Amino acid sequence: MAGGIVFGTLLAMGRLANLGPFSRVATAYVNLMRSIPLVMVILWFFLVIPLITGRPVGAERSALITFTAFEAAYYSEIMRAGIQSVSRGQVMAGQALGMTYWQSMGLVILPQAFRNMLPILLTQTIILFQDTSLVYAIGAKDLLKAAEIAGKNHNRPMEMYVFAAVIYFILCFTLSTMVKSLQRKIAIVR
Amino acid sequence: MIEIRNVSKWYGKFQVLTDCSSKVEKGEVVVVCGPSGSGKSTLIKCVNGLEPFLEGEILVNGTQVGDPKTDLPKLRSSVGMVFQHFELFPHMTVIENLTVGQVKVLGRTKEEARRKGADLLDRVGLKEFAGKHPGQLSGGQQQRVAIGRALAMDPICMLFDEPTSALDPEMIGEVLSVMQDLAREGMTMMVVTHEMGFARNVAHRVIFMDNGRIVEDTTKQEFFGTPRSERAQLFLSRILRH
Repeated sequence: MAGGIVFGTLLAMGRLANLGPFSRVATAYVNLMRSIPLVMVILWFFLVIPLITGRPVGAERSALITFTAFEAAYYSEIMRAGIQSVSRGQVMAGQALGMTYWQSMGLVILPQAFRNMLPILLTQTIILFQDTSLVYAIGAKDLLKAAEIAGKNHNRPMEMYVFAAVIYFILCFTLSTMVKSLQRKIAIVR
Repeated sequence: MIEIRNVSKWYGKFQVLTDCSSKVEKGEVVVVCGPSGSGKSTLIKCVNGLEPFLEGEILVNGTQVGDPKTDLPKLRSSVGMVFQHFELFPHMTVIENLTVGQVKVLGRTKEEARRKGADLLDRVGLKEFAGKHPGQLSGGQQQRVAIGRALAMDPICMLFDEPTSALDPEMIGEVLSVMQDLAREGMTMMVVTHEMGFARNVAHRVIFMDNGRIVEDTTKQEFFGTPRSERAQLFLSRILRH
């Protein structure tokens, strides 16, 4: 997730900055990723990369990379909206103080963009977390898979599935509560 | 200090600035006025390179603003700018607004920047607001903080882009009085404003713009005495009637 946010922010900046070919590649990448279902990306990455490199990647590592790459596309769109939500005047104010592009990004734009985007980032993160169950498709071990194995071992599949659901709920609920309090703490005083 | 030579600028096909030339000497206060859409704000933003221009040249303290080789961030750090809508950083406290540029751009230590910031806050009469956020301040207070933020960089000159246009009438005075003090101390200032009282009190020269052209560029005495262009006469009569 952290990787997705960092990569996604860079992608968003790439799309917004006038960097010619890089902006176009970033845009194409985001559009491609957002037009393909996640399950397909997971499967495709898992099956095709070994064909190209000649070496199997391993289900867990493959899943991790796919998620970072996929989520980056979504985070990038969120960040793009966030960056654009910060007014042009703020950019100018940073520049007028003598800040470089990176300084005004890091000190002025992104901190505000991030605050504006927090609720949507949270939603996307919860979706991402729940989507991890899709790695089921390539047999990587996630919470659901682990629950299934445990259920089979103890011959209690139903209970283990319920248990997995409860854990998903607790984690997502805690996360959303935490973000809400974070949001209160760093809110921009208007 | 500031030299503008034959500057022209287009937005697409629309020409916003036509052949503008003027000069601001060290220690001089120059007021730029004119009807809305006449290009005043655009011109002042060209001076520190916030707006690019296509033709002509602008020199600030001998440095070419339009030259791609110029280190614009460095140039801007020595030119203070105050905006119509204040543009304080809302996610920082007042004192952080005054120190961020000093620390990150000028490389001063935090203590040094804080001391300087506190002094400047005191000077604009807002010492007790250091820990507040800009959103908790009134418009006039925010604009005074913004002036302090610009001054914290020890600028060689100050640009004001309609500093009182977004303020309630009762707050205009407090901002203007800070600006007047600054002018009396000998700060070089270029001020886009409709405040003719301010121009009368402290300006040395007045530039009148219309349709992207500088139509008058004279001393204050001449401007308020006998404006030469018809357009300036009309503008003045409209403004001074109130």
